[in-house]
Amino acid sequence: MTEGLVIAVPALPVACGLLIQFARTPRGADRIHLLGALVTATAASLLAIVAFTHSADPIRGTWYVLDGASGAFLAVVAVIGVLSALVSPGYLTGTQHSLFASSRARTWYYLGFHLFWAALLAVPLVDNLAVAWLLVEATTGASALLVAYSGRRSALEAGWKYLVLTTFGLTVALTGIFVLYVGLAPHGGVLGTLDWQSIARHRSSLSRHAALLAFLLIIGGLATKIGWAPVHNWLPDAHSESPPPISAMLSGALLPTVILVAWRVLVTLGPALHPGVGDAILMGFGLASLSIAVPFLWRPLPWKRLLAYSSLEHMGVLALGIGFANPLATAGVVLHLAGHALAKALGFYAAIPLLQHQAEAGEHPPRGIARLSTGTATAIGVSLGALSGLPPSPLFFSELLILAGGIAGGHLVVAVLAAALLALGFLGLAHALIEGLLGGEQHHRWQRGRSVRAVERLAWAMGFGLLALSACAYLLPGSPAVRMLMGGLT
Amino acid sequence: MSHAVIWIVGLSALGVVVVRRRSVAIALVGLQSLVLGAQAISQAAGASTVLLVAGIVLVAKAIALPALLAAVVSRTREPGRMASERHPLARLTVALAVALAVVALMPDIGLAQVAVEHTAVGLVALGIAIAVVRRPAVFQALGFLVVENGIYLAALAAPKGFPVFIELGLVFDLVVVVSVAGAFSAKIHEEFGTGDTSLLGDLRD
Repeated sequence: MTEGLVIAVPALPVACGLLIQFARTPRGADRIHLLGALVTATAASLLAIVAFTHSADPIRGTWYVLDGASGAFLAVVAVIGVLSALVSPGYLTGTQHSLFASSRARTWYYLGFHLFWAALLAVPLVDNLAVAWLLVEATTGASALLVAYSGRRSALEAGWKYLVLTTFGLTVALTGIFVLYVGLAPHGGVLGTLDWQSIARHRSSLSRHAALLAFLLIIGGLATKIGWAPVHNWLPDAHSESPPPISAMLSGALLPTVILVAWRVLVTLGPALHPGVGDAILMGFGLASLSIAVPFLWRPLPWKRLLAYSSLEHMGVLALGIGFANPLATAGVVLHLAGHALAKALGFYAAIPLLQHQAEAGEHPPRGIARLSTGTATAIGVSLGALSGLPPSPLFFSELLILAGGIAGGHLVVAVLAAALLALGFLGLAHALIEGLLGGEQHHRWQRGRSVRAVERLAWAMGFGLLALSACAYLLPGSPAVRMLMGGLT
Repeated sequence: MSHAVIWIVGLSALGVVVVRRRSVAIALVGLQSLVLGAQAISQAAGASTVLLVAGIVLVAKAIALPALLAAVVSRTREPGRMASERHPLARLTVALAVALAVVALMPDIGLAQVAVEHTAVGLVALGIAIAVVRRPAVFQALGFLVVENGIYLAALAAPKGFPVFIELGLVFDLVVVVSVAGAFSAKIHEEFGTGDTSLLGDLRD
């Protein structure tokens, strides 16, 4: 039963994407797409519940693992996937131009969307580093053309940059996986050599320099896909040029999913390095990402580009939390992962009515949206308020937990630096929020059309979801899921 | 593994750095894949599954993908040498310097034949260098193929090889990524009238 569900979760979106190719009308394609998305999300949610209930005693199959981490990441990918699926038909209806021929544009979009989602859903489930790498690489193939979907020159540039940089970055990670495989081969020489548990069991047989080389290549390569600075160049372009539902998938689902692979590498291979080296590398990526992102949060950037730099900031926070390797920080990471995904996805969905009513919003920062559209302003307010860490945002609590974990773990200087950067980031986003909602001279209210109503409903629903996550901040520290994450993602 | 194989794969990668015509570069990478595929088949004698996978890899990398890229080239004619391309000697100097530096700095990864290990690491570095120093979009896809061939060469020299499942998965990913790169290359040419990736530089903050 469980194995059937594990197979069904990535298989359902693949089947749905293929089935949509036979739809005769746009409405028919929308219906299959929405039905498939709801069924997929239901199956993934069930599987996440199974994973949570077994977090103290993970379920292992021949090729999959269901532990607390798979449950948490699967739930996030499922929620962001289904929300992006729900807003996609509205986005496509309001879009005139595409990279693809107009007669097939919608069905190609849906095919890419479902293949991308399938790969993302599979990554947390697989019990093997090399297979996880293959799936992460598959996400690039599935999503690169979606990034360039609008067909604009800037979108082509963003899609090409995303394809080239992440592909070459991942080949570096593959080189590291090969080094690890050769080092571990005396204990296997088969696919199972790279199972998470096998790496943890045999890591002591690796020489220190082989372990360090493998670790650096794997984490450095994965960092390009996560978008950690200084190898983040594709991230702002791809997030700002993609269709908003795809931007939400990239930021809320793809980046965290690859972080899970890096996290499992740290937990399984890290102890073979000199003590603290693996954690220090993660903290280095975290501080670098925060340092690069924060100055951009102070600049008057177009809405989606601002959200892209905010993604860089929050991926840095997650790197810090993982690097602190402390129960409080780990609880913060889980909360941050979910809170960031919801808040960021809502921000990108708000871009749909924004870009439909103000074409120039793709080039300039939004101004005075509260006077133009209450629904869009609500979404922007909830999203940016949460992302800035304004209480009672779950990101406020998660950042507190991560910083407290850093201090408790003896990383006082890093925690203080991170706190200072987060405070600066908060001020930058708070300024953007005030200007975006109340700044400028705006007089002509937008019609409360379909996209505005949809975003307004999502803002309320996701706002309550964010508050529920804030409540979890009191439950997570010390919970079995966090204990399991600390005990090893193996 | 014979020295002839090592020399052919190394020189073909350097050729991709130097040659002007995209079709010649595609042929060089096809040759590199063919030699590696033949080596894999000769090593797989007696093991039917490994032989089958080696055959699939050869067909995909030495025939299908070069044919796909050749089709892209035939649809996207370039009027002449790209102005943004540096002199071949300058490209070769940069690429060789990068490859030699990486080979010198890379610690031992544990392969039995040192020459194979150095060539494999050099191919990975050259593949990345090709993507950096060459401007036509097709060359960046070729750079990816050269990197992958470097890892494939290392896997052929590994004591127990790379698992066949991973080999198949890699080929699948390679086909998908190179196909997408081919589609992008055609679209970039359609939009800009050339496949010169140096024109893709508008997105800055």
